[in-house]
Amino acid sequence: MSPNTSSTTVPTPDLSVSIAGKTFPNPVMPASGAYEIDDIHDRFFSPGLLGAVVNKTVFINERPGNPPPRLWETPCGMLNAIGIPCEGLDYFIKHKLPIMKSFGVPVVVSVAGETMDEWERIAVRIEETGMADFLELNLSCPNLAEGIPWSTEEKTLDEVVSLVVSKVKLPVIAKLSPIVTDIAQMAKTAENAGAAALSMINTYKGMGIDIKKKRPALGNVTGGLSGPAIRPLALWAVYSSYDTVKIPIIGMGGIDTAQAAVEFLLAGATGLGVGMYNFINPGTMNEVIEGIRNYLAEEGYSSVREIIGLAHRAE
Amino acid sequence: MSNHAAPINRRAEIVARYESPVGYVYLVLKETVIANAAKPGQFVMIRGWPAKDPILPRPFDIVLTDEREETFTLCIKLEGRGTNLLNALPIGETVIVTGPLGKPIDDVGSAGIALLGRGVGAAALVSLAEAAYRKKIPVYSILSARSAARIVCRELLARFSADVLIATDDGSEGYKGNGYDLLDKLVADKKIERAYTCGSRRFAKHVQALDANGVIQGYVFLEEPMACGMGDCHGCAVKKATGDGYLLVCRDGPLFRASEVLL
Repeated sequence: MSPNTSSTTVPTPDLSVSIAGKTFPNPVMPASGAYEIDDIHDRFFSPGLLGAVVNKTVFINERPGNPPPRLWETPCGMLNAIGIPCEGLDYFIKHKLPIMKSFGVPVVVSVAGETMDEWERIAVRIEETGMADFLELNLSCPNLAEGIPWSTEEKTLDEVVSLVVSKVKLPVIAKLSPIVTDIAQMAKTAENAGAAALSMINTYKGMGIDIKKKRPALGNVTGGLSGPAIRPLALWAVYSSYDTVKIPIIGMGGIDTAQAAVEFLLAGATGLGVGMYNFINPGTMNEVIEGIRNYLAEEGYSSVREIIGLAHRAE
Repeated sequence: MSNHAAPINRRAEIVARYESPVGYVYLVLKETVIANAAKPGQFVMIRGWPAKDPILPRPFDIVLTDEREETFTLCIKLEGRGTNLLNALPIGETVIVTGPLGKPIDDVGSAGIALLGRGVGAAALVSLAEAAYRKKIPVYSILSARSAARIVCRELLARFSADVLIATDDGSEGYKGNGYDLLDKLVADKKIERAYTCGSRRFAKHVQALDANGVIQGYVFLEEPMACGMGDCHGCAVKKATGDGYLLVCRDGPLFRASEVLL
């Protein structure tokens, strides 16, 4: 727009946010495991438009994942029991991490260990590559026997986060499980252990029954529930933790549109993870970024940072 | 992954619909890129019914493409909420299409091929029959179903096949019994290099056995529930024949060498 006609327009709102001193061009990123960075997806939009890139959680060793059926559709959501298949750390570092790094946006590397020793080893190896900006600890996959306890017991959560934080300089994001009595307390525990940020939430544990087979619908019996069905629960997790911790929160759980994304920002999220909806509409993240920008412009804000946590203000 | 045509994700208009037989609907959608770029063996994910329940898009094989009309055709078995909602959309309405997805089939061999379809599984075989026909490779099609009223894609396959044989469980048309009995007879009587099957695990296992015995080269189309159709969700896993790990139907298939998978 030319200067002559712009007297009534406001500048394009600034979408950048800062997490642990690192600038994200916008708050939107994939929830781990919900968007591959590959040539199929490049056609929808460039990952360089995202706030950050995040990989499907990598373990040290190759993993096959769970036996099928792995998916079950639910009202406004989906159960998954994928079991985090992965090619292992060496493959990831050689073939996937350099691609993630190539887009020029912050690189969040999601990792998990099955033992304390593995958590330490994988964190150190990722840091040594020099290609990661953040380590996200997946402490909360409900589909792994070894997954859930990491972030459902305060003592274990504290031990893992403290260990990783003591071994690497990279900022550590703790991804928390909602399957706890008081997630704000777990958020505080992770913060006290040295986490630089929190991702919340991972999926809720649930199940479906196949009435034709008369059996549990998933090969793993239970799965993680995601999608808009869990959004009010996820929103409460973020809202209830916002006042408890000082570190930034990456909010996720059923973000399908900019409207849902804005709800999370107002509840107190600095970053936004889009998960299941990438499966349904591979253009979701790009649409959410543009939609947040439009919302801010319409509401008269110059920066997304002005609305983070705004729902907490006194009436 | 470079053999994937880059997929699009956009609205496509429903330009025609016809039901044949009852309970099976052909939907013709206008979308230039898919009409031009889709290869045999590929599929699309479709959503677009009002509201978000059911939430997941549905995968459908691309039956035919028409570059001049810029359309492509799907064959849909009306069996659940998603397919019935899709069928309720009027002509002129749009749905959101993501595709073409799946590994394109470039090679249909050099000698005769047999196609064995069970029910709506026949939909996956039409584009393959067309590709072979264009290469002047003889195509023999076998359609199997519970009854004659459930035989689909018969006319389409007839366009490209030297012969279309019918098998029904109840004997209401053609051979009464297993469709793969007809396949066994066909490979004994004709020069058949390859056999492809879709729509039945039982048939897939049979083709796998023929392949293992060196009778034909066997290929199987597999179906598994999938959320995304492009390798993100890892839902549509099928066990590798080697037993160590899984392949994805959407990314590594939907067509597999019979010897590649554990059924």
